Amino acid sequence: MLGGLNNCFMLEPKIKFENVVKNFKTSSGDNHILGNLSFDIFAEEFVCVLGPSGCGKSTILSLIAGLLKPSSGKVIFNSKLVERPDSSRTLVFQEYALFPWLNILDNVAFGLTTKNHGKEKPQKKAMEYLNLVGLSEYKNYPVNQVSGGMRQRVALARALAVEPEVLLLDEPFGALDQQTRENMQNELLRLWMKTKKTVIFVTHSVDEALKLADRILVIGGKPGKLLFDATVAVSRPRDLKDSHLINIRNQILDNLTHPDFFMGSDI
Amino acid sequence: MKKLDKEQGIIKKDLTGMKITLIRITFFLALFLIWYLVVAITQIPSYILPGPLDVFESFYIGFIKGNYLISIFYSMIRVLTGYFMALGIGIVTGILLARYYFLDITFGRSILSLQSIPSVAWVPLALLWFGISDNAVIFIIILEAVLPTALSTKNAMKNIPSNLIKAAQTLGSRGLHLYKNVIIKAMIPELVTGLRLSWAFAWRALIAGELFVSGAGIGQTLELGRALADMSQVIAMITTIGIIGYFTENVFFGIIEKRVRIAWGVE
Repeated sequence: MLGGLNNCFMLEPKIKFENVVKNFKTSSGDNHILGNLSFDIFAEEFVCVLGPSGCGKSTILSLIAGLLKPSSGKVIFNSKLVERPDSSRTLVFQEYALFPWLNILDNVAFGLTTKNHGKEKPQKKAMEYLNLVGLSEYKNYPVNQVSGGMRQRVALARALAVEPEVLLLDEPFGALDQQTRENMQNELLRLWMKTKKTVIFVTHSVDEALKLADRILVIGGKPGKLLFDATVAVSRPRDLKDSHLINIRNQILDNLTHPDFFMGSDI
Repeated sequence: MKKLDKEQGIIKKDLTGMKITLIRITFFLALFLIWYLVVAITQIPSYILPGPLDVFESFYIGFIKGNYLISIFYSMIRVLTGYFMALGIGIVTGILLARYYFLDITFGRSILSLQSIPSVAWVPLALLWFGISDNAVIFIIILEAVLPTALSTKNAMKNIPSNLIKAAQTLGSRGLHLYKNVIIKAMIPELVTGLRLSWAFAWRALIAGELFVSGAGIGQTLELGRALADMSQVIAMITTIGIIGYFTENVFFGIIEKRVRIAWGVE
């Protein structure tokens, strides 16, 4: 259940960053995004990557997904170098990135229509996952005719339906109103406890991270570095007024010296 | 009646629709009447300006005798052959231009300048290469339609939201599956607009080309009218060109474009 304990019992981390550096080439020279980043993430951990805008949080997810390659250093998944994206590590975006030409059910079934899943009946399995997020009665709806919260549920179901080992979430609830966001956070925790995926959740909100994570990796600076690695050993559901959480919160804020860090008081 | 109009917006809409049709019919009848009167009063010879009845007669005889229908049939075969070949070449070229920057800055640039050449300018070249034949006409149609197809394909591909592709890749889609199920699908709304434009170009190129070659066709029937000083036939053919052009460009493609935009949630 708790990441800290997992560390002791399991030899191999699920994901390992070894001295990862990422630069983007631009017309005005190199843009340094990540500088010498190292950390381990273990199976079934719920990890929040926390940091200000532009610190390279999303880049970390893209590197894990295999959408980007590090400029130097190694990104390792299941003891193997990450080469390219595949369905063992799925990504959920803030802006949903659903396929507008497919209805809700076909969106969820999308990953199941690829070669790796060819044998099973995509629609049937997609239906299971649509049930899981409570949207089975909307299966024939076009995606642009349902609310933001529902779209994000569809995106979650789509990402889970291919049964990935790691679920990557890039500020997934950032575009939702506060009430919907809280519901979605609870929903995500429920799904995580049920499916036991390794979850890496990027956010700029301290409170969102405190509410969700087993472990919080605080990234900051330019290029982005690991400023603080906090283990949150508090049982869920959590009360943010819990003294232990307030303590962690203060430690995180102490570690963040970046001037335009968003405090995340919007939860 | 007035009260009913206010109560039921739908009925009111229908009545206005009918009114518009009525106004239109009256307008065109008035136009024909003026045309008829001008010809009758001024006694212009019919090889300069025939009266509306002469043109109707020409239409009637042309369609009954069958040579107008045969002309339209052969012209449609030419234009469709050229158009579909242009689509094939244009779409592949457009995808290559979008994928390979080097091609875009070299070949892509020359396409822009080629597009400013009117189709008639290619006629001498086409006649020298292909002789007075269908191939010459088809060549001109391809030249004209391929450029807008390639350009709109390139733009459609460049405008695909990158998150859609990233989401698909992490769901395990790649290669042919990715092209078939995501890239092409995401391009369709913009592509349809491009295909409509290409059709307009192809249609104009067809008529320009047919004026110069022998054999059945709308352009040749038009040219024959000139040779025989049969102005009624000339006007009948010009009208036919306009009507077919209007129905294909605006009605047929207009409906497809609208349906696609609704299905893709663009509107």
